[in-house]
Amino acid sequence: MKEVKRISSPEDLKKLRQEIRAKKDSSKPIISICVGTGCIALGATKILKDIKDEIKKSGLEGKVDVRETGCLGICEQGPMLIIYPEEIPYFKVKPEDVSEIISKTIIEGQLVERLLYKDPETGEVAKEIGEIPFYKHQLRLLLGNNANINPKNIEDYIEIGGYSALAKAVFQMTPDQVLEEVKRSNLRGRGGGGFPTGIKWETTRNALGEPKYVIVNCDQGDPGAFMDRALMEGNPHSVLEGLIIGAYAIGANQGFVYVREEYPLAAESISTAITQAEEYGLLGENIMGSCFSFSVRVHRGAGAFVSGESSALMTAIEGKVGEPRPKYVHTAVKGIWDKPSCLNNDKTWATIPLIILKGAEWFRNIGTKDSSGTMIFSLVGKVNNTGLVEVPMGITLRDLIFKIGGGIRDGKKFKAVQTGGPSGGFIPEQYLDIPVDFDELVKIGSMMGSGGMVVMDEDTCMVDVARYFVDFLLEESCGKCIPCREGLRVLSSILSDICAGKGKIEDIQTTEEIAETMRETLLCALGRTAANPILTSLKYFRDEWEQHIIEKRCPANACKALIDFYINPEKCQACLLCLKECPAGAIQGDKDKVHWIDQEKCIKCGTCYEICNFHAVKKLSGEAIPPPPEGMKPIRKLKGEN
Amino acid sequence: MVLLICQHCSYKWDYQGENEHYATCPTCRYKVRIPEEKAQMLRRKGLDMELKSEFSLKEQPVKLRGIAGIVNKTIEDYQHDKSMLIQILLRLQNNFGWLPMEMLLEVSKQLGIPINQVYQVATFYKAFSLSPQGRHLIRVCTGTSCKVRGAPIVLDWMQTFLGIERGEITTDGRFSLKTVNCLGCCALGPMMTVDDKYYGNLKLPDVKRILSKYT
Repeated sequence: MKEVKRISSPEDLKKLRQEIRAKKDSSKPIISICVGTGCIALGATKILKDIKDEIKKSGLEGKVDVRETGCLGICEQGPMLIIYPEEIPYFKVKPEDVSEIISKTIIEGQLVERLLYKDPETGEVAKEIGEIPFYKHQLRLLLGNNANINPKNIEDYIEIGGYSALAKAVFQMTPDQVLEEVKRSNLRGRGGGGFPTGIKWETTRNALGEPKYVIVNCDQGDPGAFMDRALMEGNPHSVLEGLIIGAYAIGANQGFVYVREEYPLAAESISTAITQAEEYGLLGENIMGSCFSFSVRVHRGAGAFVSGESSALMTAIEGKVGEPRPKYVHTAVKGIWDKPSCLNNDKTWATIPLIILKGAEWFRNIGTKDSSGTMIFSLVGKVNNTGLVEVPMGITLRDLIFKIGGGIRDGKKFKAVQTGGPSGGFIPEQYLDIPVDFDELVKIGSMMGSGGMVVMDEDTCMVDVARYFVDFLLEESCGKCIPCREGLRVLSSILSDICAGKGKIEDIQTTEEIAETMRETLLCALGRTAANPILTSLKYFRDEWEQHIIEKRCPANACKALIDFYINPEKCQACLLCLKECPAGAIQGDKDKVHWIDQEKCIKCGTCYEICNFHAVKKLSGEAIPPPPEGMKPIRKLKGEN
Repeated sequence: MVLLICQHCSYKWDYQGENEHYATCPTCRYKVRIPEEKAQMLRRKGLDMELKSEFSLKEQPVKLRGIAGIVNKTIEDYQHDKSMLIQILLRLQNNFGWLPMEMLLEVSKQLGIPINQVYQVATFYKAFSLSPQGRHLIRVCTGTSCKVRGAPIVLDWMQTFLGIERGEITTDGRFSLKTVNCLGCCALGPMMTVDDKYYGNLKLPDVKRILSKYT
């Protein structure tokens, strides 16, 4: 272990930064490889190892740096790496490409064309990261630094100007001035509610009771959103710096970071960051030689969606069951152990250093009048470029999905976009041109939530997705409030019936009534907003519900009970693939003989539909299934037709 | 000796008695509740006399075997902090694979938390499992994004292939199958993890290949 000199004044920090910068050679190539959870799932660990081996083999040790970074955003194209200083991005890298990257790009300075991003429409190749449409329209304030730092190395963060906001706040500003700056910036909580952060801080600061606590909420339970994880994994020091500044403004000496159980890498990343910050004297007793002391503890969740709610999260930190409690007295006044506790999302905390450094005016100029700054969306589902997108507030959904996301996959038709997880609603095509900010989305029945944005195409059944959310909430409901516990149970059975073709026309009204009751009567925000997916699905896609109930058919061909699988004899190539894979043994046929499905045996698992290479398997709903070909019909070869 | 203050008449005295819960104020006969940390000192008093040692019980390395020993070591790591109950259970679950009832009782005893509270926590959170698990844990993500991109087909196939429903173990004890609401890799759905390894962009033939790697 190398000896670390504690930073005991702002000058020390500046000196250290200069030393780090002086040590670095700007012309030395750096390979930044994403080792976030997403890219690891696609095999980035193997590629990282191969790159290191290859560098050793070609005798380039010490001449090339390899930097392991957090999530770089465009997960669909992973595993990805960027080569500095030219900023050459390579996508979908496989282990066999590694030697070519080293020999061609690093040694000879040439590009490996096939690994570059190619625009599917124009066919243009992007030689720099900024040329890719996915990145071109973004403003990456929080996530942009992920490519430049190794999250496990504090010196990388200090090198790019990290902790200078902390030095400015603690040494040049009083806590009141910091608070005033945050209030003026009009920053609103990024966790979903959009409550003004400055006002929350002020409430905690003015509340009676000592000690005060500050908490980072990294318990992103809503399915379809993962930016909290990416930020925590990729740039934990920015969250930590914001937290320390917040603690200074509020007057807290103890902080907690609550990380979800499903994010092991994020917990590891922030724990390392805390240890390093303590070693450097940026955390702990007398931060940077001032008289301000602050310590942070990481608390891991244990898998409960409701624990992401503020009061529930605080009871979980106390070591109890994470259930929400009535908030007649807000948690900002009485939180953990009934002491004033200020809880903010990790994105909110990470924005604070930027506001302190660049000023509230700068921040207000980004975004819209009432929602300033940028917002991170996780653009997922049926779009071409899935991943994390950071854009100024006020961008339209159309720009997000079609310009940045690159449109819908496989040329299908857009149907709806679901924002805000189980608390948000579906937004149909007619609202694609509204600007996205906290208030506009609420007006059309959805909400910003923490920024999840699941795009759905014509193959998604809106009743089925509504049922999915009800089942999700039923599983996750803590069971404290009766309308939530029992209402969801009834809703689930109604929706299951509709999806199974047993729905009655009066079910729609019952569903609406239960959903309205839940909205009025529940304790926590998660429960009160639970009705949103159902109500918006009913509002904008009522015809689909009616088709399920009256015509007994699923227009999207998604509800299992209402569809049948059928092999088109014209397209079938008798490859025997589906016949072998069918778990029920329902597919009949032989070599060179057209296959057909025995509907009596078929369990509708969809395996044949998934694996058929010739798109011969079709889903039918509400139509008569054509009779199986008589006897064993020989196939018609597709090639012969052309 | 324990210093107590009467809430009724503010009289301070050194309590010499043995009751762990209440003491009677010598002046006004008011029942004074003994705070937990002071009660611990009282409990320890008897032991300290026997050991004639200057160390407190907490610092004494307690050599226990079996479940009691594992629990004791974990609790020591968290400095007997009651608010760390969830963290202690998480670590035990990770090390042991599941939480037997004996272990919960032991945690309750050593940490001084009533068993109903420990049990409440262990049953509320999804990460804890109160029955034995298979050698490999498969978690299939059923988040919104994964659902839209075909997770139900993967899950159905897996259930047919392994012959178990979610939440069950295969008869040979090789796999246990669970679903999870979001693994945080929404861009790569359908997703699953086997033990700690993540697999994204799943296609049915891949799943079979992946599962055959685990024995």
